[in-house]
Amino acid sequence: MLVLKRLAAVAAAITPILAGCGAALAGVGQPSPWQMGFQQSVTPVMDNVVWFHDFLLWLITAITLFVLILLVIVAVRFNSRANPTPSRTTHHTLLEVAWTVIPVVILTAIAIPSFKLLFLQTTIPPADLTVKATGKQWYWSYTYPDSKFEFDSVMLQDKDRKPDQPRLLAVDNEMVVPVNKVVRVQVIGAEVIHAFAVPSFGIKIDAVPGRLNETWFKATREGVYYGQCSELCGKDHAYMPIAVRVVNDKEFASWLDQAKKRFAGNEAPRATTLAAAK
Amino acid sequence: MATTAHGAHGDHAHDDHAHHTPTGWRRFVYSTNHKDIGTMYLVFAMVGGLIGGFMSIAMRMELQFPGLQIFHDSHQFNVFTTAHGLIMIFFMVMPALIGGFGNWIVPLMIGAPDMAFPRMNNISFWLLPASFTLLLISAFVEGEPGAPGVGAGWTIYAPLSSIGHPGPAVDFAILSLHIAGASSILGAINFITTIFNMRAPGMTLHKMPLFVWSQLVTVFLLLLSLPVLAGAITMLLTDRNFGTTFFTADGGGDPILFQHLFWFFGHPEVYILIVPGFGIVSQVVSTFSRKPVFGYLGMAYAMVAIGGIGFVVWAHHMYTVGMSTGAQAYFIAATMVIAVPTGVKIFSWIATMWGGSIEFKTPMLWAVGLIFLFTVGGVTGVVLANAGVDRVLQDTYYVVAHFHYVLSLGAVFAVFAGWYYWFPKITGYMYNETIGKLHFWLTFVGVNIVFFPQHFLGLAGMPRRVADYPDAFAGWNYVSSIGAYVSAAGLGVFIFGMILAFVRKEKAADNPWGAGATTLEWTLPSPPPFHQFNVLPRIK
Amino acid sequence: MADAHAKPQHDYHLVDPSPWPAVGAVSAFVLAVGAIGWMHHMVPGAPLVFAAGAVGVLYTMLSWWRDVIREAEHDGHHSRVVQISHRYGMILFIASEVMFFVAWFWAYFNVALFPTDVHQVLRGELIGHVWPPVASPDGKFRGTFDPWHLPLLNTLILLTSGTTVTWAHHALLHGDRKGLINGLWLTVILGALFTCVQAYEYAHAAFNYSGHIYGATFFMATGFHGAHVLIGTVFLIVCLIRAYAGHFSPTQHLGFEFAAWYWHFVDVVWLFLFACIYVWGGGTPLAH
Ligand code: HEA
Ligand code: HEA
Ligand code: CUA
Ligand SMILES: [Cu+2]
Repeated sequence: MLVLKRLAAVAAAITPILAGCGAALAGVGQPSPWQMGFQQSVTPVMDNVVWFHDFLLWLITAITLFVLILLVIVAVRFNSRANPTPSRTTHHTLLEVAWTVIPVVILTAIAIPSFKLLFLQTTIPPADLTVKATGKQWYWSYTYPDSKFEFDSVMLQDKDRKPDQPRLLAVDNEMVVPVNKVVRVQVIGAEVIHAFAVPSFGIKIDAVPGRLNETWFKATREGVYYGQCSELCGKDHAYMPIAVRVVNDKEFASWLDQAKKRFAGNEAPRATTLAAAK
Repeated sequence: MATTAHGAHGDHAHDDHAHHTPTGWRRFVYSTNHKDIGTMYLVFAMVGGLIGGFMSIAMRMELQFPGLQIFHDSHQFNVFTTAHGLIMIFFMVMPALIGGFGNWIVPLMIGAPDMAFPRMNNISFWLLPASFTLLLISAFVEGEPGAPGVGAGWTIYAPLSSIGHPGPAVDFAILSLHIAGASSILGAINFITTIFNMRAPGMTLHKMPLFVWSQLVTVFLLLLSLPVLAGAITMLLTDRNFGTTFFTADGGGDPILFQHLFWFFGHPEVYILIVPGFGIVSQVVSTFSRKPVFGYLGMAYAMVAIGGIGFVVWAHHMYTVGMSTGAQAYFIAATMVIAVPTGVKIFSWIATMWGGSIEFKTPMLWAVGLIFLFTVGGVTGVVLANAGVDRVLQDTYYVVAHFHYVLSLGAVFAVFAGWYYWFPKITGYMYNETIGKLHFWLTFVGVNIVFFPQHFLGLAGMPRRVADYPDAFAGWNYVSSIGAYVSAAGLGVFIFGMILAFVRKEKAADNPWGAGATTLEWTLPSPPPFHQFNVLPRIK
Repeated sequence: MADAHAKPQHDYHLVDPSPWPAVGAVSAFVLAVGAIGWMHHMVPGAPLVFAAGAVGVLYTMLSWWRDVIREAEHDGHHSRVVQISHRYGMILFIASEVMFFVAWFWAYFNVALFPTDVHQVLRGELIGHVWPPVASPDGKFRGTFDPWHLPLLNTLILLTSGTTVTWAHHALLHGDRKGLINGLWLTVILGALFTCVQAYEYAHAAFNYSGHIYGATFFMATGFHGAHVLIGTVFLIVCLIRAYAGHFSPTQHLGFEFAAWYWHFVDVVWLFLFACIYVWGGGTPLAH
């Protein structure tokens, strides 16, 4: 039975966490079973996101525990059995000032690194390579304006998928970029809004029809990094993954050569005008 | 002039009486009585909650395993998600908290015989079934090419909701929202007028119970935000049917404009959903601690502040649309500011309990549960407020977890707190305490199992609004679905307890909660007479 | 207090049960279904369904407000405190209307304020990165109106109508029924004139309602304003009829006052439309 088989799969997935190595098994560039945190970071931006999120997690955990402890104290000390006669206190100026001012201080402490991270993300350094990603129902097209070719990137169906390729993430033609280089990504939508996202790069940007958005990343490690369309775009929203293969300069050069031949003549005229607009 | 009015009235005292208390279906369909209308709202909310809840269970069944389980394609799943979101918000929480408890309790609390515009009150209600029916019809007519229903999310972003859904389904949803909006705007006018103009002699604004304050803030948000939504969906309607290009890029339009307009409404809307809950928690906590509310004025103005700031933070839902850095920085700062007045509320509730003599009756359990779980949802909201991290979390299950902690574990907990708190007053019967507590604990455990693991899924990158997901997400999704079944069991207990109360008919006292319950509704019989306060109470 | 049937000792108006709310809601539903069926050609009879809904809504309004007038004029239910409620109600309703227009101005400024935004590539191409836009190749936008021509005339008409309605109000306050009626007649005529001029102007627009953002923002913003002018005119006509019927007294005439408020609101919206769309966003208009 299907359900039983599925249950078995879940049980199989539980085993590693019981063995205490759930995170260690984490594949790079994709989620892993029972993962509880971010995917592994491979860009400076994502390193900062991870740090900032950890910082926030400590803060909010402390705040939540503080509230919880107060509630527990109240429940124990001031239930009707422990404390039959209620007090009538309704004011305490110092307290009221404190619980207004302390959150302000905490929030200021959050805002400073938050703005830093924001500026890091939105200030695009001089780019080594520009790739334009067009979200379409329901696949991505990548244009390399400097080399003048374009190709489509479509999710692999089960029958075409090799065993080591993850379901719903692997595609036929990956976007390929060199390692340790600043890549500028320009993103646009064809008919409806999609969103270009790669969790391990710490990027997500909407692909809006008629609007050319930009972001950037610098991957510091070779490998394949997966993401999924992150804006509801209709029926097959779940089936238009993003796969970025990060390779060394030599491999990139040879891929570029091949791609120019393979995808020659694929250049969409509209796409060029949009890319040139910036 | 007033005396002549009464003269005329007095002559017809007898048939007036006959008019005032019609029987049978007319009593409700023609109603101009705030309590009857409130009751209809509550029943309606319950139906909405059951339908919306049923849909969420179906969604969790689908998501229990990777691959497609019970839906034949993702579109159908998206239709469920869309309808679930809209129903829970517009046809469950709002009718329960504002239409239901607001209608029932606000006039009682301010010592008024009814609402200011009793007949308008009734159309506010009756527009809702009309609106709900339109939404339900939308599920059966074409939306996406060749597939029935609106699968564009409750946010109905253009152009997915325009060129992406050429069929009439979206038009049904749009007009459904128009009508629900009209209902809410009329209701808002009614509440503001009632609260400003019909308080009993001596009840100044600064003596008004916090539940009334909370309704006042809420309905102002409704009054000022819903017309903007009406404008937005009217643009959508004309884009779809008459060729305007507000959101169509080819004609110079801008899909982002829709998002700005939507969230200018949408963000205040989320406070519309929770602020009445804040009011309920304040009443319940004070009642069962047998202490007056701590920092009453601070509590009232904290809600005013939340409502006010709530109007200038909307674009924190849009950090990934490509906004300028400056705009993002502004929205980060403005959004985080809301944590301050909200913190004032949380800590004032705890301070109210501090030194109290607390009885943990069912309503109090829900209220205390809300205080804790809302905090969990609130602090993840603060995480999301930071564009830097939200860049990674936007449109993932982390967001789903955040908003269910404030909605399903915040607003819904408030609905149940209010339900158990006022059940004796409204029905005249006592509910069974043990069953009430069982309902609470099952729900508490259930919803936490549903939504806590969704934080992990979101951090790991699972997008929302998908029927199928990469296999690595299977584990926590499985856990989450189990939690949904536990919550469903909780709902079963709720229904059972309710039926039992109506079967047992155990008479409730006028004030079953004792000295802590100090607001005016507890001075009336349970249930109150058809018209209360024929002689207005005087507040010292 | 336990005696629910005792004569109430307060001045609030506990309205009798009424069928209109339910009838109105059902009509709104029918109207919506008919509208969608019509727009999508779903069933042949859809326009009739739509018409039935519209008739139902109008009938509801008629009956409902007739009841209100009866309660005020005959039954004396509108005590001072009830009147205050009605004032709150009208002010709040107008406030919500203001927010409705905020949406249309927002749409307008969204494009008009930032024509040079480099990210908006398709929009930039279409409007030529300027506001008002350059003429579009498909001819859907060829040019703007000259604000100092018919729009100015219409501004003057509306402003004048604001004064005539005030004249009517003062006459009413002084018990001068003739003045009231004359003032109202003038206001109604000016309102109708405005609508005619606006219709004439629409017919001569150098841009389309569909296919171009200029026409979309222009026609929807001014169109909704026009709809409000029509509603306001009908409201004033009702007041005129009631004035003939001898309804208003110097101390009690909320119906009239609300029509006047509404009229001023419509007037102010127009001033904003005139200033923002016709003048500020007018550019170099097409020559006449
Ligand atoms: C009841 C509804 C409700 C409430 C009350 C809130 C409250 C908050 N929300 Fe939430 N939110 C939603 C419902 C709600 N939200 C919904 C439905 C969505 C998704 C919509 C969609 O896309 O479909 C959403 C999405 C959402 C986003 C967008 C996420 C994304 O799509 O990427 C953001 C980002 O800023 C956000 C932030 C906040 C913040 C900062 C608060 C604050 O108001 C929270 C304040 C409360 C606290 C902070 C806790 C108590 C305070 C203290 C104990 C004091 C000390 C605390 C500190 C110093 C931090 N919310
Ligand atoms: C108030 C709002 C509310 C509530 C209560 C809930 C309750 C639940 N929600 Fe939902 N949810 C939303 C609002 C809400 N949700 C929204 C806005 C979205 C986004 C939609 C979108 O993406 O467009 C969403 C999306 C959403 C998703 C993501 C779907 C996706 O992205 O594809 C999931 C998945 O697990 C989910 C699950 C659940 C579950 C298991 C519950 C369970 O807690 C359900 C159990 C049922 C109840 C707790 C209700 C009981 C109440 C009553 C019966 C009424 C009683 C009345 C009186 C006493 C008067 N919800
Ligand atoms: Cu493309 Cu979602
Ligand atoms: Cu928000």
